Amino acid sequence: MTDTLHAPAASGPPAGTPASPSVAKRGRRPLGKNPLGLLFSAPYLIFVLVVFAYPVGYAVYIAFHDFFFTAPGAVVGRPFVGLDNFVTALGDPAVIRSFGNVGIFLAINVPLTVVLSLVLATALNRVTRFRTFLRVSYYVPYVTASVAVVGVWLFLFSGNGFVNALLGPLAPDPSWLVNSSLAMPTIAIFVTWKQLGFYILLYLAALQGVPKELYESASTDGAGAVRSFFSVTVPGVRPATVLVLLVSTVTGANLFTEPYLLTGGGGPNGASASPVLIMYQRGLQQGQPDVAAAIGVVLVIAVLIIAYLQNRFAGGDDR
Amino acid sequence: MPSTTMRRRTAAAAAAFAATALAMTACSSGGGGGEADGRGDITIWYSNNEQEVAWGEQMVEAWNAENPDEQITGQEIPAGSSSEEVIGAAITAGNAPCLIYNTAPSAVGQFEKQGGLVDLSAFDDGASYIEERSGDLASQYQNTEGAYFQMPWKSNPVVIFYNKDMFAAAGLDPENPKLSTYADFLATSKTLVDAGVAPNAIQPAPTSEFFQTQFDFYPLYAAESGGAQLVDDGEATFADDAGYAAAEFWASLYSDGLSSREQYKGDSFADGQAAMAIVGPWAVSVYDEVNWGAVPVPTSQGISPEETYTFSDAKNIGLYSACENQATAWDVLKFSTSEEQDGRLLELTGQMPLRADLQATYPDYFEANPAYEAFGDQASRTVEVPPGPNTVQMLQAFRDAWSSSVIFGESDVRTALDDAATEIDEIAKQP
Amino acid sequence: MSATDPALSPRGSLSLSKGRRHSSGLSRGQSILRGIVLALGAVAFLFPFYYMVIGSLQRSVDPTVAGAFPDPANLTFDNYVAIDSRIDLLTGLVNSGIFTGGVLIGTLVFGLLAGYSLAMLQWRGRGATFALALLVQVVPFQLLMIPLYVLIARDYGLADNYLGIILPFFINSTAVIIFRQYFLQLPKELFEAARIDGATELRLLWSIALPLVRPAVITVVLLTFIGPWNEFLWPFLITKDAALQPLAVSLANYISTVAASAANPFGAILAGAVVLAAPVVALFIVFQRYFTSTDIGSGVKG
Repeated sequence: MTDTLHAPAASGPPAGTPASPSVAKRGRRPLGKNPLGLLFSAPYLIFVLVVFAYPVGYAVYIAFHDFFFTAPGAVVGRPFVGLDNFVTALGDPAVIRSFGNVGIFLAINVPLTVVLSLVLATALNRVTRFRTFLRVSYYVPYVTASVAVVGVWLFLFSGNGFVNALLGPLAPDPSWLVNSSLAMPTIAIFVTWKQLGFYILLYLAALQGVPKELYESASTDGAGAVRSFFSVTVPGVRPATVLVLLVSTVTGANLFTEPYLLTGGGGPNGASASPVLIMYQRGLQQGQPDVAAAIGVVLVIAVLIIAYLQNRFAGGDDR
Repeated sequence: MPSTTMRRRTAAAAAAFAATALAMTACSSGGGGGEADGRGDITIWYSNNEQEVAWGEQMVEAWNAENPDEQITGQEIPAGSSSEEVIGAAITAGNAPCLIYNTAPSAVGQFEKQGGLVDLSAFDDGASYIEERSGDLASQYQNTEGAYFQMPWKSNPVVIFYNKDMFAAAGLDPENPKLSTYADFLATSKTLVDAGVAPNAIQPAPTSEFFQTQFDFYPLYAAESGGAQLVDDGEATFADDAGYAAAEFWASLYSDGLSSREQYKGDSFADGQAAMAIVGPWAVSVYDEVNWGAVPVPTSQGISPEETYTFSDAKNIGLYSACENQATAWDVLKFSTSEEQDGRLLELTGQMPLRADLQATYPDYFEANPAYEAFGDQASRTVEVPPGPNTVQMLQAFRDAWSSSVIFGESDVRTALDDAATEIDEIAKQP
Repeated sequence: MSATDPALSPRGSLSLSKGRRHSSGLSRGQSILRGIVLALGAVAFLFPFYYMVIGSLQRSVDPTVAGAFPDPANLTFDNYVAIDSRIDLLTGLVNSGIFTGGVLIGTLVFGLLAGYSLAMLQWRGRGATFALALLVQVVPFQLLMIPLYVLIARDYGLADNYLGIILPFFINSTAVIIFRQYFLQLPKELFEAARIDGATELRLLWSIALPLVRPAVITVVLLTFIGPWNEFLWPFLITKDAALQPLAVSLANYISTVAASAANPFGAILAGAVVLAAPVVALFIVFQRYFTSTDIGSGVKG
């Protein structure tokens, strides 16, 4: 098998190369060319239908009804109310603001994540000494629970905390987490810091897939390290970049734990509230699951649109 | 991937959802509540602080010793930052315990609407037992139809604690602090901060959780207005002179740098970060290393302590509809709020049972603990959060307005209160 | 299996040789610059952890710059003793282990199968399944939480049960997508040839595909591990019984409620953080060497 692997790529497609199945074929095999695929995926499919599709369907149902949670057996009317819940949700300035907040978050977090993780991964990929130490130090924040690291950040960034002590007269007033224009950027930087290890890992793996010959030939052409970074590395890891963009956008849009723990529920004055945090407050604390579900539906649609645009323009071309 | 494929896939996935959702809702399960006259073993939850755990354990032990056929299993409430989510979820799933000795009045309306609570008035001696025990205070815990879906249990009347050592260090009289009028309170605060004895004069949590209103605005508003509720008869009351005065008082504390806009993670009073605190007697156990004194909350003109109202910070007992042995649960409820158990509660936790004539019932305790006498007296003049299913929503609307105007000074205080009042009137109209 | 064997791989996969070759492409200045960037990065990543440990050992809070250095007069283990007296750390650790282990097994077995079939096999519904996996990423868990809670607690009766804690996380959809992504990069020719030789799909998956996507497996293990290990909202809702709560839940509880009444609240919070972080970091350091064999690509992409 090793031989097969390293043999020069077979010239010409071997028999049975996946080609778009013809209509006739599909007619003969109602489950597709490899029905086994369905069997392989069946546990996952069942899992997704039960713990994902059903709750989502239910949430969408909730969003269109006057709904509140009841004890088993309680009989209540739950009239269909059309778009009422959406009107309530989107008419609430706090909700609109939370979408703006998450926009600020994404505008800082996503580019920072892509650039820093690619640069660090490239540097790490070539380094020989301290490699293990560096790897470990980059991944450690990622593997640690938010609950744990949030404690340190609170301590570091509080009004009389270490960072302000270090900055002295340059310390912002009001301090980071209670400053309405700095709270969200601070959270964005925290999340970038926290998640970067994972994206570095993705890039590192992708970098192994960039053929070494390309670097060699770029080097022969007289390209320096910087130029070969832009002409070989960046295009070479594009699929990974698409993945990093997508994953960081989606995780960012679902931001919850950090404002929940770091700024005491979206403070100061709602400047760091995220849509998911508002959903949590409305749905679980204030007994308005219908409005919360409507916010969730809007959020999901917004994220889908962004993800689609990213895919379109960052150019995902992998089949 | 090509966009068309993506669209098709999404459509297929959406169809899959719809199908599942329909299938699943069609066969959603019924399942019933418990039996009103059922007897047998029950489960109860109590609060997770050390003192209340001690009280809960001895109560359970005392009951179990006498009732071998109806045993109680007691456990600490699984609580994070707020226990309401857990209780709400347990109601929905039908696995709530029989009794929860930490049901916040602000959540009761919602739980009632969910069908999660048993109407205690439906027991033959329900209303009479409650009213006999709590006297006039009981009426605040009725719903709009006059039924009791909660047993008034204990209160923690909110007062001002002050650090006597800090007052002395700042050259203030620690035995007769000038804290009764707004002007005196502000002047005293300024002296404390200027003297550098503490970075803050007083530091309520400046965060936006709905319940924080109960520990800054509400006690002062209750005092200033002579015991008005935030919402009365479906109308917000606080957009008046009393409300403006209390809110502007807090606004000056924040704008003059006497209270921090940043949350302190520990207890600011216990840790010497603030010279004063606005809390109830439950906190006394936390303050064992502070040489503290307590005075009623301030008012603009400084009315006498005997007339000062405050927020109750009560915690009540709910009997949950998922309970199978409700007759036992009702008996346990009565047992645990008996004169004897209330006495144990007072002794072990320092919190005030919601009883009429509290001081006359436990003269020995108040004699032995003179520091608590003020709380015992204050306990008879407390106000509660507005009842109904939308309490939390109203408090949150208020808190949001408070946060931007009073704490962060980004908008005018009076306008903010007016706007919040309009919004709360709207919320109150919802079913 | 032999993809990492340098003797068999024409392009060599010893990191040393690889490093040397690449370094030659850099000028001395650039090497130094790279070193500085990496070192700065390492400091930025590690300092908060260092500070966490120092802070957790302080008797009283010292937020000044000097507080970042250990002061023998201000050191104490009291903060840890305080946690140990309130929380059963061992039970929490075991619960976290069961929760995380269950999710890892589910994801590695069923997630791998699904990823393989999504990438390598042609079957009806493949597109829709993949779209579902993508959608799972997009939908915030808070939207699903209550319906899910009702389903699992009311309909399945799995409240206060390890299965109930594990179920919503059992197969990590991100892992499925990552597996698919990696499998897609493998040359199809290889598999077609083996199929013609009569190998079954399971055998293809086990002996050809799996060894080639080892970095993906490692990525997935890391990714999957931290999810359940750090999750606190769901287990918090579904477990009422403290004996079943994972460490993250009891420590989050401790941090948010109990710590405030401790002698040094910040020290108590940070000590809680250290206790939660330590097992993961230790596990990670022990197993990190497996994270280094990333030379998947050498023979594959071209």
